[in-house]
Amino acid sequence: MTSEPISREQLERELAFYRTEYNEVGARLLRLQEEQSRTAREARRSRTVARLIREAYRIADQQMPAELLGEPLLAVIADTSVCDRAVFLREEIGRPGNFIIEQAIGASVGATVCLNPVPAFLYTTSVQSARPEASALAALIGVPFILWAYEPISQRALLLGNSTESNIHRPFEASDQELVDGALAVYIDVLLKKRAEAALHQAKTAAEEASDARAAFLAALSHELTTPLNAIIGFSELLLSGNEHGEAKRVDFLRQILDAGRGLHAMIKDILDFSSFSNKVPLLRLDWTPISTLLRAAVRACSTGSHAKGITVDVLPLSPDFQVYLDYDKFRQIMSNLLGNAIKFTGSGGRICLSSEMTAECGVSLVVKDTGIGIETQDIPRVTEPFVQVGGQHGSKLGAGLGLPIAKQLTEAHGGQLLVASVFGEGTTVTVLLPRGSARRS
Amino acid sequence: MSPTIDTAHIRTAYSCSLDVAEAFRACRGQLGAAEPDLILAFIGGKHDPKEALTAAQQVFGEVPVVGGSAAGAISPSGYGYTGFEVGLAAFTGPDVTPTVFFDHDLREGEVAAGRRLGEAVRMGSSDGAVAMLMFDSVAELAPLKLHPASRLTAGFLDGLGSRQLHVIGGGLLTDINMSDGWVFHGGEVRKHTVIALLFPPGIRASTVILHGCRPVSSFLDITRIEGAEVLELNGERALAVVEKMLGIEIGTTSGQQLSLIATLGEKQGDPFAPYDENNYVNRLILRADPVRGSITLFEPDFTVGTRVQIMSRDNLLMLESVERGVSNLNGAIKGQDCLLSMYIDCAGRASVMSGAATEEAELVLATLDSTCPFVGFYSGVEIAPFKGHYSRPLDWTGVLSVLTRNR
Repeated sequence: MTSEPISREQLERELAFYRTEYNEVGARLLRLQEEQSRTAREARRSRTVARLIREAYRIADQQMPAELLGEPLLAVIADTSVCDRAVFLREEIGRPGNFIIEQAIGASVGATVCLNPVPAFLYTTSVQSARPEASALAALIGVPFILWAYEPISQRALLLGNSTESNIHRPFEASDQELVDGALAVYIDVLLKKRAEAALHQAKTAAEEASDARAAFLAALSHELTTPLNAIIGFSELLLSGNEHGEAKRVDFLRQILDAGRGLHAMIKDILDFSSFSNKVPLLRLDWTPISTLLRAAVRACSTGSHAKGITVDVLPLSPDFQVYLDYDKFRQIMSNLLGNAIKFTGSGGRICLSSEMTAECGVSLVVKDTGIGIETQDIPRVTEPFVQVGGQHGSKLGAGLGLPIAKQLTEAHGGQLLVASVFGEGTTVTVLLPRGSARRS
Repeated sequence: MSPTIDTAHIRTAYSCSLDVAEAFRACRGQLGAAEPDLILAFIGGKHDPKEALTAAQQVFGEVPVVGGSAAGAISPSGYGYTGFEVGLAAFTGPDVTPTVFFDHDLREGEVAAGRRLGEAVRMGSSDGAVAMLMFDSVAELAPLKLHPASRLTAGFLDGLGSRQLHVIGGGLLTDINMSDGWVFHGGEVRKHTVIALLFPPGIRASTVILHGCRPVSSFLDITRIEGAEVLELNGERALAVVEKMLGIEIGTTSGQQLSLIATLGEKQGDPFAPYDENNYVNRLILRADPVRGSITLFEPDFTVGTRVQIMSRDNLLMLESVERGVSNLNGAIKGQDCLLSMYIDCAGRASVMSGAATEEAELVLATLDSTCPFVGFYSGVEIAPFKGHYSRPLDWTGVLSVLTRNR
């Protein structure tokens, strides 16, 4: 049996059929492929926040300061959302609507923009006219297509941008709010967490330092109290021992006991003052006082010590009408401590100079300068700490080390500053600065 | 006989960092004690090119740096297309270090620039040598216009004359969106520049082209075309034909998303021979013009009468093609003294764009037997010997080439 020959017409119909079917099936294949690709791309995009959270945890485990964590998070956002620009912005304190770029990929850190009103969410496309805020944000990062999210409580914002609308995936759209809101929330969370950690670390360090200081304080206090007490007990035992010492020796023992007692009394007064000033700001009785009166009184009060060591104390000429607004007794204590220290650490035949002047806007600068042993540079910051006596063996025999800390406390109670400058082997200059309005001409 | 010490070598390095200087420092560390004579660098396009060049110069001093932007970089130690990657190949010794040729005048005409470059390379080369072309793909930004690799390659081959070289190459992009591209040459960042690396005569290359597109339409004749802009297919407006296939309307958008979806493919040889991916030359769609009803291709090498088919990306086919192609290459390089594996990978093949479940670059790395240094980059166009003959530009392909040394 032979088959019927296929007519040309039938062949053409068959060809047309297969061609149509091939094209139809091909088109379906094309659309299915594209659908699969689009789903995969959207899935990748939707993984942005999940990846950010992972990255945030990774960063949280590192010793990275809060200020630096924005960039790695932006890198994750830019990678998963495949955008050309990504920036975190902060609304400036006290300037509502003014934003500054804090971290950026593809844009300039420090660039600013002013928005009024501030939208919570915003995006641009080519088929809708851009709001003025959108134009400002697009100009800020130099691309036309943007996606913006703002969180008003933390006053932070995330801005993404593309130079082409289609980018890889598609134009920005309303459903992208979830992505930018989520990404911004992760950033804010990890930022606050890092800041809280930093504050906690700082508080822990401060507490440890305070604990160390307290331990050092107690150790120094015990030592400082024990030394004069040993003298008192020792000489008292000698006097009570029944041994014949002779009148001169007996008087010497009693003088030693008296000196140790007085030293102990002065030290306890210093400790009480220091402790009192540490716990609360001393109550000041402020009044106008001629500075010349104050300084002369201070010099007179320590003249015994300076004469004993042959130290010259000069007070540079002061205008009699130069008055300062201070607590006379407390400031006498400052001067007494500064002059006492200067005498203590200046050798025989040395020189101490007091000067004072009215500074800008009626502030006061008071300087005590000596030609003593000076302080080594690295020790200068420590000399205003309690019970610190620098300078090795010289210092260890010369008091409790509370003079400068008390002077500093009292100066600060007046709203001023106490500054120490020194050249080792040449001398020390202590400057007391009182704030503006502390001086006048009578 | 005393043992000889081979001081000539090629090493590769990869890093990804927001700080390009840090990335270069990391790469320098990976190169070890090598004192290279030439650095080939592929720099993620989110890095500032001048900062990148400064970083390279700080790390490598006076060593010449060539290469340029890349949509991403690929290496055994990592790959990506974030725009912050840095991939390097460092060549040490005259036996492996390529000679660099260049032409800075692509804007004046790609054919002429290619011809000048080809003539220069011909003078310095012998048959069988390997040459690698690189150029910045983006000629103009608005509207987007590319430097056509087909014209450049045609000019280059013309300039080579009878010289038979193994030519591979790629277009340099800053990102997958084709935002820009730039080239490093002569200690400067350049635009509209093509460079050719001519490898020493003792070096040969084995190259495979990895595909991933399948025809989804019957044959269509191009009935009207102006340059790369196809106006009509089978007498109908070209865009309408494509829209009908896709079931979408491009509308008022630029149609750039079409480049994600379909290509036009020209089947070489017998049009009715069974499907073989190696028989197709694909052209991606750059943009669509709803007013003119046209689609513009990446290359202007189709003419009136060219028979094309609409091609669909096929992610599964792409991965199968990688396995097939790399397996063939493994066979070709078996027992060879391999110096460098180079992968020029169309940016569209990255999973972020193709939507493939597996990164095909990862599959390439996993299946390639060679243990020699590897560097790759995501490109705008790929150039490779087609069916073992003369080289031509390709779209949506991966060009995997292994350089070997004659024994």
